[in-house]
Order: sequence, then structure tokens, then C-alpha cells
Amino acid sequence: MSRPAPCPIYTLRGAGAPLNTLHFRCPGGDTPLLFSGSAKGAIHIWNLNSRRAEMVVEGHCGNSVIWVSTLRSGDSLMSQGRDMQVCLWDLKEGRSEAVDSVWTGSVGFCQCSLLETSPSNYLLAFAGSQTEEIKIIEMPSKNPVSTLIPDTKLGMVMCIKLWKSDSGLGPLLFAGYEDGSLLLWDVTQRSELSHVKAHPEPIMCLTFDPRHLRGVSGSCEKKLSSWMLDNQNNIQLQDCVMLVNPGVSQLRIRDDSRLLASAGWDHRVRVFSWKKLQPLAVLQYHTDMVLSLAFSDHQDPRQRLLAAGSKDQRISLWSIYNERADTG
Amino acid sequence: MEPGSEVRLRVAQCFRTLSSSTDHGDIIDALKTLNSYLNDGAESRTTSAEREEFRRSHYSRTLRVLVGQLQADWMHSLSAAQLSQVWDPLFLKGPPDQALLVLMEAVSELSPSTGLDRLVCITERFLQSGHLADLLWSFCLQPAPSGSPQLRETLLARLTSLPDITANKLHPNNRALFVPQRYYPLLALEMLAALERTCQALRGGTDCSSTFVAQTLGKVCVQGHSGPVLAVMAPRLAVCTRSDMVWQRVCWKLLENVPERWMESVLTGLVQAVKSPDAFSRIVGNLVLTNKKAHFVLTHKVLLLQYKYETPVLRTLLGYLASDSDRRPLLIQVVRSVSQAWANPSAVKHTPLEQQLYVSKTLLLTVSLLTDSELQELRSDLLQCMLGGMQSHLDSSVVRIRTMGMVVGECLSSRMEINGTKLKFEYKQNEETRELLSLMTPSMCTEPEPEPADGAEFAEETREPSTHRSTSQSRPASQRSKSDPDSDLDSDDDLTPYDMSGDQEMSRASPPRYLRDCLETLISSEDSERVELSLRVAESLVRRNVFAAKEISVQMTKVLLHMEDKYSIDGFLALRQAAMVALTVIDSVPVTQYLTTEFYSLNYSLRQRLDILEVLALAAQELSKPASDKTTPSTSTTSELTSYQTNNPADWRQVVDKRIQSKTKLISKGSTQPVTKAAPNRYAPVAGYFFFPLLRNYDKPEVTFDLLGSDQLVLGRLIHTLGLFMHLAVNAPIAAQMGAALLDFLWAVRYHADQMVRRGVLFAVCSVFLSVPSQSLLVDLSEQLFETRTWLADVAEGDPDADCRSLAVQSLVLLDKSLKKQLQDPTALSLES
Repeated sequence: MSRPAPCPIYTLRGAGAPLNTLHFRCPGGDTPLLFSGSAKGAIHIWNLNSRRAEMVVEGHCGNSVIWVSTLRSGDSLMSQGRDMQVCLWDLKEGRSEAVDSVWTGSVGFCQCSLLETSPSNYLLAFAGSQTEEIKIIEMPSKNPVSTLIPDTKLGMVMCIKLWKSDSGLGPLLFAGYEDGSLLLWDVTQRSELSHVKAHPEPIMCLTFDPRHLRGVSGSCEKKLSSWMLDNQNNIQLQDCVMLVNPGVSQLRIRDDSRLLASAGWDHRVRVFSWKKLQPLAVLQYHTDMVLSLAFSDHQDPRQRLLAAGSKDQRISLWSIYNERADTG
Repeated sequence: MEPGSEVRLRVAQCFRTLSSSTDHGDIIDALKTLNSYLNDGAESRTTSAEREEFRRSHYSRTLRVLVGQLQADWMHSLSAAQLSQVWDPLFLKGPPDQALLVLMEAVSELSPSTGLDRLVCITERFLQSGHLADLLWSFCLQPAPSGSPQLRETLLARLTSLPDITANKLHPNNRALFVPQRYYPLLALEMLAALERTCQALRGGTDCSSTFVAQTLGKVCVQGHSGPVLAVMAPRLAVCTRSDMVWQRVCWKLLENVPERWMESVLTGLVQAVKSPDAFSRIVGNLVLTNKKAHFVLTHKVLLLQYKYETPVLRTLLGYLASDSDRRPLLIQVVRSVSQAWANPSAVKHTPLEQQLYVSKTLLLTVSLLTDSELQELRSDLLQCMLGGMQSHLDSSVVRIRTMGMVVGECLSSRMEINGTKLKFEYKQNEETRELLSLMTPSMCTEPEPEPADGAEFAEETREPSTHRSTSQSRPASQRSKSDPDSDLDSDDDLTPYDMSGDQEMSRASPPRYLRDCLETLISSEDSERVELSLRVAESLVRRNVFAAKEISVQMTKVLLHMEDKYSIDGFLALRQAAMVALTVIDSVPVTQYLTTEFYSLNYSLRQRLDILEVLALAAQELSKPASDKTTPSTSTTSELTSYQTNNPADWRQVVDKRIQSKTKLISKGSTQPVTKAAPNRYAPVAGYFFFPLLRNYDKPEVTFDLLGSDQLVLGRLIHTLGLFMHLAVNAPIAAQMGAALLDFLWAVRYHADQMVRRGVLFAVCSVFLSVPSQSLLVDLSEQLFETRTWLADVAEGDPDADCRSLAVQSLVLLDKSLKKQLQDPTALSLES
């Protein structure tokens, strides 16, 4: 008989608003932290040891925060809000002040994508002010690298993912558009490498595993579409995974490329095996749409967590498939 | 002096010596003299003419004299060695038929003594040393056998009933060799030996007769020992006849010579013992064409009158009929008669189910054996059979018969290829349907018969599967490695899924919280989701708000009864039924009044009428249970709505209880179960409302509803439901009246043609006997009881349906028990007086 469905190991309450985005930072020695961005413009920094909010950063003038991330080096936090700003925060020694900001001009919900090219430099991709426009700039110098606009009308940019392949090409970027198209861009050449129609509806989220060159995207329908990249950098659609209820707001692959998690509009988080896309678990806790997901970057695999942020203003934390022994 | 009289003189002298002499020397001499007539050796002192004379006319008498002298003094004084030298050979070396007769006669006449023991030993040696084969062979050789027909008859009787004779006499000290399990295989081997010698003699040009062997075989079989005998003979015959024409002819002759009255048991035994149609065909030959009895048995009796044989037997028999062009017309004839039997509507109604299954199997087997041209020839017959037969099968109220009809119809239509169309039914696959379907594929039972003489073949066979296995094992392994090029990557196998049953469709609307809202939705809403939710919560709403439910119970029942599954809701019937049952339980009197009236009114489908009966039955059941658990709503409907509760509360309670128990030391174990609380029976006061209205209008046919006519399905259910009401009314004051009314009602339908109805009737009678107090059974129903008894006895004996028979027996037992209890109870008698 199968095991009973798992329960969250604990939950974080008190954000007071729907949680649009989550981000872990669990470096070896320090306190593990979880950053969350709420619809009321607050960024909560949760201490996972005390399970309390350690600090609340109010930025973006009360506008919804749709994306948070940290840089590998130092205590800088990046956040993107609906006020069309991407801010860089300095959190050293308990400070919380915006040190820099970039104006994006995008009115959509497209989350930024970050790619650290060297310890000091990184690329930031975000949707631009025009409908189909994606801008990539180099930080911290804010030099524009390129602007990507497709030839045909595809609607708004819904989600982007910036990555760099091992084959030595320049940074590449996946972008999902409003009409369901999925494009692979070469950032430096500013050229479309591949174009497929992955969904009939807008692509809500996508994620990509550079190790296996496979990705998956979700929409507001009942299926996840998986695809892979062949040697000529063409996107090849693969089989779909059917869901019970429609709508996916976020997809995440765990760092060890074993698990895929999807945040469902039906209040549930679904966990799949990444290799064969077998359904493994349905995490039921929330009473409203799950908006965001994050796998923690703990160095000890046994401590890894999955966090889910929901419209019901709670964050649930789950510990599943952390040990080979316990899964057998 | 001529040799005859000389022999007589000398034998008479010996007899005198044996009976009167007391001198050992004389006696031994006499015995030696007698022995000399049996010794053929060159050193023999007697001429062959003398020996012949002795064997013919003096041997039996000699043995009788010896048996008569068993108690004589010299018998006790002779040593064992002497006895075995001069006494035993007299029995073992002479003509075996006479010896056997004398031995059997003596064994059956003597009383237990050392003499009897001696004879039993001799008989045992007689059997062990193969004298039976000599005996049978001696009858094969002589075209005109010695002795009268009576003698032959007696010998045959002794030969076939030796185990009985010895068992009667020697029990419980019978010898192992004489028990039927050992004796009959031995006899079979001896018969085979005799046949073997016959074959050799025929090859040598000598004439032989197998009449006596055939008679022996027939007699043994008719006495019921065909199993052990033919289990030995059939495989050997099958092997021998494979290449040897002489053996084949001997076999054919043997079976031809079996007397007609014994033919049937031989053939049925043989067809069961033989493993393949070919072997049967080799052994039997064209007997079915030449012998009337064989023809009747093989083409009619086994197929249509009996139904005890296994499917392989049918395969053998029909394969035999099909395997030869001379016998092929018989197969056609069989197809005709079997298809008629299958399609006969009266047979469908009146023969036992097992026989119908048997006939269906036969039909499918024969049809699978027909060639295409023969099918063309039989087309019209088969088509008629199929159409008529399907109709009568599908009309039946027994599910197995209906399924059988569907399977046979499918198979026939696919075999006949009527304009390329095929029938296709939906039925549940089970063991039976699979077996029937498998009959259409020709069997591969032509497996090589084991060749006992040839060991090498055996060894090869046993070796082959192992090599097969090894190759088949290696193949999937290589496939797997091919299909998974990246199997070195971590696989998903160690990720065992969690339970995902909670992952179900979300519904947008919320379920109604008030009963009136629920009813409103059910009446008027066009929104499928809301209707479904309302239906799902209807039961719990009714049970939670008893007072609100009472206000609208009849109206809601009406709505539910007329509700159709417009949106194909999952579990619609069960939900609707649960809600109606809840209403009936909460507000029994008005709802039952409504339902029972509607049961007999116009414009309802059979389904709705059956629903009414089911609802009433379930409600009665619930009412009759103790009321303690009435408030627990069914949990299944609410589980998906509570998403916060991730684990089942029952689970943790179990776990906690288990932990407490494991930590607790129990000094003594009291009653762990909670004491059941006494509660009033809620059914007893309303039983009449459930019961009597349903009896009111059964014989009033409506345009759309004719209970005593074609709607026998409903009638069966009605009677069953009434029986259930009766059963549940045990201990209720009204039970006596109900019982009387029910028996009255049942009287009209007790011999109904449909077996489901009859089963229902018998069930109801059982429940009457169970529920009505025995006193009132005797007092109020006395005049009906007698007739009921006779009727039940009749059913128990003659009903074609096995269930009906057993139910009838059961009700008789119940009736007797109840009456006995009443009659033996002195207080009851005094009350009566």
C-alpha cells in the first residue's frame, strides 16, 4: 500500500498578503533564510531556525513584489515589483536600504531572470516596456546587452529563463509568450534559435534543467508540456503530463534533477519525478491558489526543503524525498 | 485299457488315499501322482493323452477333494516345504479357469480357518503369477470354448467381482492385492497381455477371438470400475495403435465384441481416459457407424442427456467425430441437434444451469470444428438457432444464462460472418466466459503422447523447455539495456509515490447548507455542478435536520424518485438511493405510503419500481438495527471538502490505542467491547406500512406494468423484498399477520416459471418460518402448513434449479424445527388446551 499523503513540517504565517515569490538562501554556516515577496509590497526574511520573520523590507511603495532573488556573493537582495522597478538591497549588518534600482517599464507579471557570469558581474533579463520586448542588461554597470523582439506578434512576455550552456555558446534565454509560444533566444546574436507552440493558452511558467537539456512549461490548462533541446538547439516537444485540475503558477526542479514540483491553482502542490515525470505526491494544505514554490539550497541533502507560498497568505514547508533510504 | 478309464481309476485311488489314509508316504505319493498329470516336462511319467484327459474331466474334482481335505490330519502334519512342493502346484499349474472357479467357490464357502488362509495365499499367488492372462488367453484361443455358457457366465462373474467376494469374506483381514484399487489395474494389465498375445498369434496366422476379453472389459466397466481399468489400458492402447495395424484391428474387434448392454460404460470410460481425439479414433475406429448403441451414446446421450463430463472429454469426442470423412455427417447431425437443444426456450427455462452451460460448450466446440463449406450448408439452421436461442437466453432473469447467451451469440456470429457484421455484447469477463470463448480456438491438445518404450524422447522433451527458458530470460535483459541508454543516471525507482487518492477535481460551487436549498437545486437547477453537490450532501442534510426533513419528506422523495442522471454524476444511483433511504428512515409513515402507492401506479419504468423496492428494503434494514449509530453521516461525501485535514483521524486514534495497549500491562482482560445499549426497535411499529400496501394490487395488470405477466423481474424482487420485511419483523407483534398474508400471496406464484421468482418465493417462505412465532404458526396457519409442506417437498425433489432445491430443503428444516419446538414445549400445549 502506498504511504499516506505527506504533511507540511511547519508553516509560516503572518505575511498578511498573498505570497508571489519565494527564495531560499541557506549557506553552510549561517542561518538558513527564506525570502518571500508579498502582494502588498513587503519582502519578509524568515529565519528558518526560529521560524519567525527576522526582517520585513518594505519597498516598491506598496506595489506587489513579484520576484526576489539573492546574489551568490554577499548580502545583496534583488526584488522586482509591480512599480516597474528592480531594486538591489544591501542587507549587511541588519541594514535594509535600496542601493540601486533599474526601471523596467514592464506592466506585466513576468519575473526577471538572473545569470551570474562572474563573481562580480551578472546578467539580468526582464520584460521591457513594449509588448514583446525582453531586455538583458549587465549588472552592476547597467549596460544594455541586447533587446529581443520577435518578428511575429506573440503577445506579452509571460516568463523568461536565462541560462548558459556548457557548449560555449553565449547566454541563451527561453521565453514563454501570451499565445503559448516558446522561444529560445541567443542573447548575444539577438537571434531566435527555435520556436515552438507549446500550449494553446498563455504560458504561465517554465523551468529548465541545463544538465539534461530538458524543460517543462505550464499554462492555465490541465497539462504540463515537457520539451528538450537537441544538438542543433531546436526545442523538441515531448510527452505531456496531465493534471487533475487546470492552472499552474510555478514550476521548480530540485537542484539534484530528481524532482519537479508544480504550484497548482487548485491549492495543491504536485511533485513528479523529473526523469520520467511520474506523479509522486500531491501536497494538500493550502486553501487557495499556490502562487510560488522554491526548493532550498541546503548543502546537506537531508535538510532540503520545499516551500510553497499561497494566496491564502501562508507559506508551507515540506520535507520529502530527502533521503534515498527513506524513499525506498 | 483305454487311457480315459485308466486315468479315472488312478485318480479315484488317489482320492481314496487322501480321504482315508493316515500314512504320510501314501499321501505324498498320491499327491505326486496327481501332480504328474500336470507336469509337461520330458521326465513326466504320463502321456499327453492322459494329461489332456485329466485336465478336461478330473481337474476340478481333484481340487474340490483337496479343498474338502483341508481340515484333514495330513494337512497339518505335512511340512510347509512339502506342501509347497506337492500341494500348491496342483492349483497353480492346472487350467486357470477351473482353478479360479474352485478357489472362489471355496473362499466364499469356508469359514475363517487356517485352511481358508491357505487358500487365500494360493489365490494371491495365482493372481501374482499372471494366471489371469493365461485364463483370458485360453479363451482367446479356442473358438468354441470348453464348458457351457453358464460356466462362462459364472467365470466372468467371479473374475470381475473377485474384490467383492474376498472383501465380504475376509474383512477386515483382506489382502492388499484384492482391494479394487490394486485388483482392477492388475486385471487391466492382464487383459493387455492377452491382447498382446492375440496380436502375436494373428501375426503368426492363428485365428483368435477377443470375445471373452471384451466381455470381461464390459462387465468390469458396467460395475463402475471403468476408471482404474481404462486408466491403465487407454494410454497403452493409444501408443500401440499408433503404428501397428494389427493392434488397431484387435482394438476395433475388441470394442465390437463388447456386448451391447455394456457398451455405454466402456465408451464413456474410454472417452474420459483417452487424452486426444486421434487416440480415441485409433482405438475405437468407426464403431460409431456400425454399432447402434455406440452411435446413440456418442452422438446423443453424452452430448445432450448427460452433462457431467469435463470439457476435454467433449473435445475428444467431437474431435473424434470430425476427424474422419465417414464420421463427418455425424458431426453435422450433432450440430443440428445441439443447436436445437441450445435454442429451445423451454430448455432454457426448465433445465439446470449446468446442463445449459454444457450444451453451450458442446455447441461452440462443434461449430469451431466445422469447415467453411459445412458452415454454408448449415447456415440457415445456425442462424435460426442463434436468433431464437439468443432471445430466450437474454430473456432469462439469471445473469449467468444471459451471459452465456451473449458469449455464444458472439462466437456464432463471428464464425458465420453474416455480411461481415459481428455481434458484440458488453459483459463482465469471468472464468466461465473466458472458458467459453477459448473453446472457439482449436485446441492444441495434440501434444505428443508419452512413449513409454522410448526414453530418449522423454529426455529430449524435458531438456528443451530449459533452453527455451534461458533464451527468454536473456532477451528481456538485453532489451532493457537497449531501451535505457542512460540507466547509469539515478533512476526514479527509489522514489515511491505517496497516496494520491485525495487528488480530485475541484468544484467551484459550494454545497448547499439548508435542506430547502438542496431540494430547490434538485428541482430546478440546470447547473450540473450544483446539482451534483446537492445530491452529494442530500443524505447528510436529511439526517442532520430531522424536523426540516419531515416537512418536505414526501416532496423530496418524489423529486428524487423522478430524478434522472442528466449529468452522468459519479455514483448517481447510490447517492440518490442513500438520500431516499434517509428520508424513509426519518419519516417512515408518509414516505412509505407514498412509495408503496407509486409502486403500483402508471408511468414508471422498471428501474424506478426496482428502486422503490430497494429503498424500502434498505430503510427497513436500517430501522431494524439498533438506533445507536443513526447520527453518523456517511463520511465519504465530506472527505474531499476538508482539505485541511490531511490525515484520517481514525488512523491516529488507532495508532494511539495501539501504543497505549503495548505500554499497558493487562492483569485480566475484561470485556473490551462496549456494552450494547438496548434501544427500541424502530421497525416494529411501522412494519405494516412497509409490508401490506405492496400486497394490495399485484394481480391488477396495468397497461405499462403486468406483474404476473412479463414483468417477472420486478415480481421476483417484490417477493424477495417482502420476504426481507418479514424477516426483519421478527419479534414484532404484527409478524403473525404478516406471515399469514405473505403465505397467502405466495400460494398464487409458488410454481412460477421463472427461477428468480421461485427463489424469491422460497426465501420469503423461509423468512416466514423464521419470523412468525412458532405458536401462531401452529395455531393460525395450521391449515396452510400441510399444503406448504407437500409443496416444499416437491420442490426440494424436482426443481431444476439447484438453489431452489436447497432453499426448499432449508425451509423444510426450519419448519420442522419450529414445529418441534412448539410441540415439545409443555407450557405451550397447556396454553392451547
